[in-house]
Amino acid sequence: MENRRHRFLERLNNYRGVIAFVVVFVLGILFSPRALDTGLPIFLSWQTQLAILYEYSEYGLLATGMTLVILTGGIDLSVGSILGLSAVLFSLLTIGYGWDIPPAIGVVLLTGLACGVVNGTLIARFKMQPFVATLAMMTAARGAAKLVAGGIKVQPGGQPWYALQEGTPPFFLWMTSALPGIGMQPSTLIFLVCILVMAALVRYTAYGRWLYAIGGNEEAARLSGIHVGAVKVLTYALCSMFAAMAGVLNACRQDLGDTEAGMTYELDAIAAVVIGGTSLMGGRGGMMFTLIGVLIMAYINKILSLNAVELAPRMVIQGIIITIAVLIQQKRGRS
Amino acid sequence: MKRIALALAFAALVVCVGCGKKEQQTAQTTETPGKKKWTIGMSQCNLGEPWRVQMNKDIEEAAKQHADEIEVIFKDAQNKTEVQQAQVREFIQMGVDLLIISPKEARPLTKPVAEAYQKGIPVIVLDRKVEGDQYTCFIGADNVKIGREAGKYLVQLLGGKGKVVELKGLMTSTPGQERHQGFMEGIAGSQIEIIFDADCQWLEPIAQREMQSALARFPQIDAVYAHNDPSAHGAYLAARQEGKGREKTIKFIGIDALPHEGVRYVREGILTATFEYPTGGKEAIETALKILKGEQVPKNITLGTRIYTKENVEQGGEPL
Repeated sequence: MENRRHRFLERLNNYRGVIAFVVVFVLGILFSPRALDTGLPIFLSWQTQLAILYEYSEYGLLATGMTLVILTGGIDLSVGSILGLSAVLFSLLTIGYGWDIPPAIGVVLLTGLACGVVNGTLIARFKMQPFVATLAMMTAARGAAKLVAGGIKVQPGGQPWYALQEGTPPFFLWMTSALPGIGMQPSTLIFLVCILVMAALVRYTAYGRWLYAIGGNEEAARLSGIHVGAVKVLTYALCSMFAAMAGVLNACRQDLGDTEAGMTYELDAIAAVVIGGTSLMGGRGGMMFTLIGVLIMAYINKILSLNAVELAPRMVIQGIIITIAVLIQQKRGRS
Repeated sequence: MKRIALALAFAALVVCVGCGKKEQQTAQTTETPGKKKWTIGMSQCNLGEPWRVQMNKDIEEAAKQHADEIEVIFKDAQNKTEVQQAQVREFIQMGVDLLIISPKEARPLTKPVAEAYQKGIPVIVLDRKVEGDQYTCFIGADNVKIGREAGKYLVQLLGGKGKVVELKGLMTSTPGQERHQGFMEGIAGSQIEIIFDADCQWLEPIAQREMQSALARFPQIDAVYAHNDPSAHGAYLAARQEGKGREKTIKFIGIDALPHEGVRYVREGILTATFEYPTGGKEAIETALKILKGEQVPKNITLGTRIYTKENVEQGGEPL
């Protein structure tokens, strides 16, 4: 009986997440300016929807990794910096040293993985607070980004010794141009595939169950035979690897490697996860919630941008809508 | 026993350092007999922005040409006012012969700068001002003028009418306000219409996002006026990523003209034009030398701007 009631509430919770999403979506249609040529609300067009997904693919990847970490009851502040480091490293390898794309991506992902392993080890083995360990990584990774780039943006012509002086590799353009047929950019596809794969992983595998168990009650998880330390290291490693992938996307989108790329993105990623309905206390939520959270953030931003709202009121409105979106979700915690 | 050894080691170290210093001093005097090398302290408010990296580079290069006369010590305040205040005091303690400062904020740095000035250290203030008149010389560019020139150029470029998107810098900062104000003066009286504008906070990713909104709303856009080159570049990328080939018909105009940024974009045909916001690094060293040699310099030096277009980019732009 108790179990059935619980399941019913869980379903209701999903429903709440969708309500918040629908509210924002309707707001989008109501406040969308109409296209000058067709007279239809711009917000509703397929083109705009694709643009929204595309613009938020980097945040989405960060939020994907962040969801895993938050499910264990942790937090990762270093993802924005790791994004920056990866964007710079990827540009440096391809533009600066003329590497081929696959080895460059390989090195970037491994670098991200290494950062995550350091985070995870500090937290699991040395019992450091996730907040502090990843704060240290945030600082170090940002410094590393500036160090490898020599303090400037990595772009063709940036240094006399760069291998590519005239433009970026064709891969950069390919990543950001719509694929024929589906009209979606590869960078959007990567985000969608990643979040769907992780959703399946969290939902259907033992790894997913371990995440919830650790986030719910770490001691109980340990006593029931879960290798808590190993799971945590793996989780932070995955999180950083998604950040590294977002860095590659960022470099392709900006057409250069910016040492400042991803600054404060970690906050948006955390916000997206929380707006979706994953609890910061850990153990409650899921990957599909995060997809909804990312979309809510993206929609709010797009509505305000389409209407050319001034920065100051925009920030206030953004804050208010985020609060409302979370309030709609909130009751889940008490039920 | 251990403690004694430690104390001995420490004493030895002090003696060594002392000797080393003395040796260095004698070496220096023998190297340039009768001629003293001036030390200049340079306090940069932050090195996070490429424009400021360029300023330091300009100063370094100009100083290199007078390497026998001056030596520049650089400090980076990492965008923290209190760090910069401390740095100015450190330079005073070091007894530098001249101080160059590109202050983060006017009011909090006015006092330390005045302190240096009153102790007889000449101070050159670069780019951003301090309050009062307790400094030797201010060197900076005129953002209103640069904006106005950009506006006038656009009027000419579009034949007096057209639909323009303005991608602003952070509008709570004075350069953003002045670049906007100048631009409005520049296009006054023409039929140029600003159909969309957004505060992009100087950041390329935001400019890219805002431009996407503009592209979605307006089938016809003739030009983009961006308050800095990265924003103009972001707007170009947004148009290119839209996939309708509009990046070829829209004219993109930026400001700053850093060699590896705006100027390169112009050379590659991404931007139609960029207007230089000079760093004043070279001028600062030239002025510093004059001051150190006892010459009179004006209290205010306003730097001009240059325009870079495809036609003149190889000749290093054209002064306006």
